[in-house]
Amino acid sequence: MSLFRILLRRVAALFGVRERESDLDEELRNHLEMAAEENRRSGMSEEQARRAAVRSFGGVTQVRENFRMREGVPWLENLSRDLAYALRQMKRSPGFAATVIGTLALGIGAATAMFTVVDHMLLRSLPYRDANRLVLLNERAANDARFLNNETWPDIREWQERSRGFQEISFWSDMMGRNYLEGQSSALEVGGFEVSARLFPLLGVQPMLGRGFAAISADDMAGRNAGNIILSYPVWQVAFAGEKGIIGHVVHINDKAYTVIGVMPRGFSFPADQPRGATVGQVWTAVQLGAADQKRGNGAKYVQAIGRLKPGVRLEAVQAEMNAIQKTIASEYPDPETARYHSVVELRSLSNSLVDADMRKALLALLAASGVLWLIACVNATNLLLARGTARQREIAVRGALGASRWRIVQQMMMESLVLSVGASALGIGLAIGGIRLAESVRPTHLNLDLSAHMNFTILAILCGLTLLSGFVSSAWPALMAARSPIEPALRQGGLQAGKGRQHHRVRGVLVVVEIAMSLTLLVTCGLLLRTIYTLRRVPLGYRTDHIVVANLNVPSFRYSDKDVWQSLYSPLLDRVQHLHGVQAAGLMSQVPLGQTFHIMLTLRMNGGTIAATLKAVSPDIQHIFGFKMLAGRFFNHEDTPTSQAFAVVNPAFVQEYAPNKHDPSSVIGLKVWNLRKNVPMYIVGVEDPIRQASIAEPSQPEMEMCLCQITPQSGAYQPMTVAMDLAVRTARPTKEIVPELRSLLRQASPEMENATITTMDQIVEDSYGSQRLAAHLLETFGGAALLLCVAGLYGLLAYVVTQRTRELGVRIALGAQRGNLVWMVMRQAGGMLAVGVVVGTALALASGRLVRGFLYGVTAHDGWALAGAAMLLLASGLAAAYVPARRAAGVDPMQALRAE
Amino acid sequence: MSAGKSDLLQGTLDLMVLKTLEAMGPQHGYGIARRIEQISQQALSLNQGTIYPALLRLRQRGWIRAEWGTSENGRRARYYSLTRSGKAQIARETENWKRTAETMARFLVTTTGW
Repeated sequence: MSLFRILLRRVAALFGVRERESDLDEELRNHLEMAAEENRRSGMSEEQARRAAVRSFGGVTQVRENFRMREGVPWLENLSRDLAYALRQMKRSPGFAATVIGTLALGIGAATAMFTVVDHMLLRSLPYRDANRLVLLNERAANDARFLNNETWPDIREWQERSRGFQEISFWSDMMGRNYLEGQSSALEVGGFEVSARLFPLLGVQPMLGRGFAAISADDMAGRNAGNIILSYPVWQVAFAGEKGIIGHVVHINDKAYTVIGVMPRGFSFPADQPRGATVGQVWTAVQLGAADQKRGNGAKYVQAIGRLKPGVRLEAVQAEMNAIQKTIASEYPDPETARYHSVVELRSLSNSLVDADMRKALLALLAASGVLWLIACVNATNLLLARGTARQREIAVRGALGASRWRIVQQMMMESLVLSVGASALGIGLAIGGIRLAESVRPTHLNLDLSAHMNFTILAILCGLTLLSGFVSSAWPALMAARSPIEPALRQGGLQAGKGRQHHRVRGVLVVVEIAMSLTLLVTCGLLLRTIYTLRRVPLGYRTDHIVVANLNVPSFRYSDKDVWQSLYSPLLDRVQHLHGVQAAGLMSQVPLGQTFHIMLTLRMNGGTIAATLKAVSPDIQHIFGFKMLAGRFFNHEDTPTSQAFAVVNPAFVQEYAPNKHDPSSVIGLKVWNLRKNVPMYIVGVEDPIRQASIAEPSQPEMEMCLCQITPQSGAYQPMTVAMDLAVRTARPTKEIVPELRSLLRQASPEMENATITTMDQIVEDSYGSQRLAAHLLETFGGAALLLCVAGLYGLLAYVVTQRTRELGVRIALGAQRGNLVWMVMRQAGGMLAVGVVVGTALALASGRLVRGFLYGVTAHDGWALAGAAMLLLASGLAAAYVPARRAAGVDPMQALRAE
Repeated sequence: MSAGKSDLLQGTLDLMVLKTLEAMGPQHGYGIARRIEQISQQALSLNQGTIYPALLRLRQRGWIRAEWGTSENGRRARYYSLTRSGKAQIARETENWKRTAETMARFLVTTTGW
């Protein structure tokens, strides 16, 4: 007989329990009668016989109790009885239930939504084996942590040989430019990467179809695995409809033929970032290292290294080891300037590298904020339950008097609040999903923030945990208070409050103060972010943003590899766009200011020193579109042609860093900066006014602009400089109207460009506030909810106190107290709680300001305005909430109050 | 749910009930209680009522079954009888008890020398 079967029978008995009990009753009755009959036969009187039978039987009640204990599952029965009782309670006071459920739902919803996002962004598991042991390796200059450089193969080989902490080190690099996989009709844009043959084995992932690259010694040298390609699952699905026979077929990427040797499993992507722009998925070819790549010289290929740590090895330990190794490696660079940029190796955990530090901090701060909101909700619910516990003191005392143990009472109360918090989580989950959907729809496009709202197992587990915890946290105290209160006085006093009430109020007062303090913290943080956005909006950008439409062109560069892209694509396109109705000017720029699409860093030598600058190609009309002003010299104009003198325009940051005279912009005019192509020197012709380049909050980096028309296939940087282009159009018509016409022009120019992302410059600027704006919006919501909760809490407590003291107030009025005094009395109590709450909250806010410091611009974490504003808001709404019960206190009719007793 | 001491008593009572049913055939609760009282000759002070939880327990284990029937003086009564696994249980329990009793006896003999 297994325990399980016993349990099963017991549970089954739960449902037939009534019938069983009547059976038992009959059986016991018969037993007693039989015993009495036998006693009678042995000569006892009727009365004696009956009494003797009962005596020898023992306690009938105990037997029945014992029987019942064995028959059903008592705790389950108790539970279901508690549940039924709790539901009845809810029905009896729906207002109270709705308030508690609403309160908790706010907290649970906010916490669940934030956790969903954080889980997705920070805790998501990468599709590689033991991904937490994967590390990215980059080299950089010792004194500049901003720019991380890629490395050459000799460095990687040396790391492989000398490092003890790594199990394996491999590498990959981007294929140059945009990559188009040719399908039947048009070409699909794919993310293309050249990988070492050992990369996928290092990641611990096998192709689901076909094979990987052959990995044998000297595996990445030219010729090995040449012409082979591995497809990602989405590319296989979209371009080849999941055709199993694809292995061995030839596909064309950018007009080059490759043989498909494998398809990676579903869900695998490398690099793991979301595919950007219009790309369908990823493809991988084997890297081909030539003779030049085996030296640390000019022309060597730069690749991104990735390593797998040995099990149990700490990142810090390997970093120390690598620091020592890198010292000797840097000295092997022939050129001391180049060596400088490779003097330090920086290790980053792969999973941490996917979300930048700012975003991580922001998310964690927001998660903390949602946690605070949840706590406030719980405290508020506790407060409500305490109030209710006081109102139900008599009922609970009666239950105690009837023999309910303290534990049973606590159990009952906890069940009640558990029911409430289950209701709250149902509502909260709805709030969370709705909130995430809403956030998704207003999300800045470039922000690498995935807000997909799918609920996975972790989230559900968290939600269940939160529900149980909310129920427990909010009911533990009220339940204990109720269970511990002595029965007798409560019964004797009836509904009226005795001395106990005062202590009770104090407890609830403390809870309200806690709520106020936590709400203030949220409000201050929210204020800081609002101030940040306000400041950001007032930063002068250095250019106009109105009436500009920007199209980020996905140029199928392979179609122009042997043609001059300016002559065959850009120039005719500009011509046609300029002739659209309402267009005042059209221009091209590698990347518009504050755009997040494309970035070229150029390192070159000038005047014997090294220059590192962002490089951009522009067409002359860009100046009119954005209204760039010049500090010195001139911008490009239509006299700059492919055959005229090659010029460059630089920005003030460039002057600051590299000019002979840092205080005189004109001192760079006429300097030779580069060779446009062999024997064609390029001179600086102008210095722009400062503009906000990549981010409003950060100062600009040195930048150098070249005239697009002068970049010919013979120029050194032809490929990178022409592959990515933003088309900017200044229009007199509403920007929305012109988009369809623009799109059809783009399609005519090249079918792939129809999918270009088209937006406005105003939107790009707006998006650049990105994470701050998102955080501010979320904190507005959290702060607002917190304010609402704590005002409700304050109001609830005061209203309750006034009701409880009706008689006292009546006596006071009868004895001649001024009504104004009574208002003052209540307001003083509210003011006291608010004052304490604000003081504690200010301390909390100052302490937690550090969390968001990296996120602020133009305000400090201890900003007086934010603190004062939040405190004023809280005080004002708190006092307004207190005024209602205060008026009621003053309005008590003494006759009625006294009669009510 | 139950401490060691009552376990022993429980087991004792269980075996007594089973043995009674084996000896007397189907029997109602009162009859079983009376029989146990008689056999133990008042050495055991038994509340007759405790028999009912024991009967339920045995029924839950599947060692006995219960049916409503009519008693010798025309009363409706619940009759308990052994099941097949109940009979097997008697054999097992008897063996256990004998062993326990022997061990106990040996223990008592060796320790009386002290």
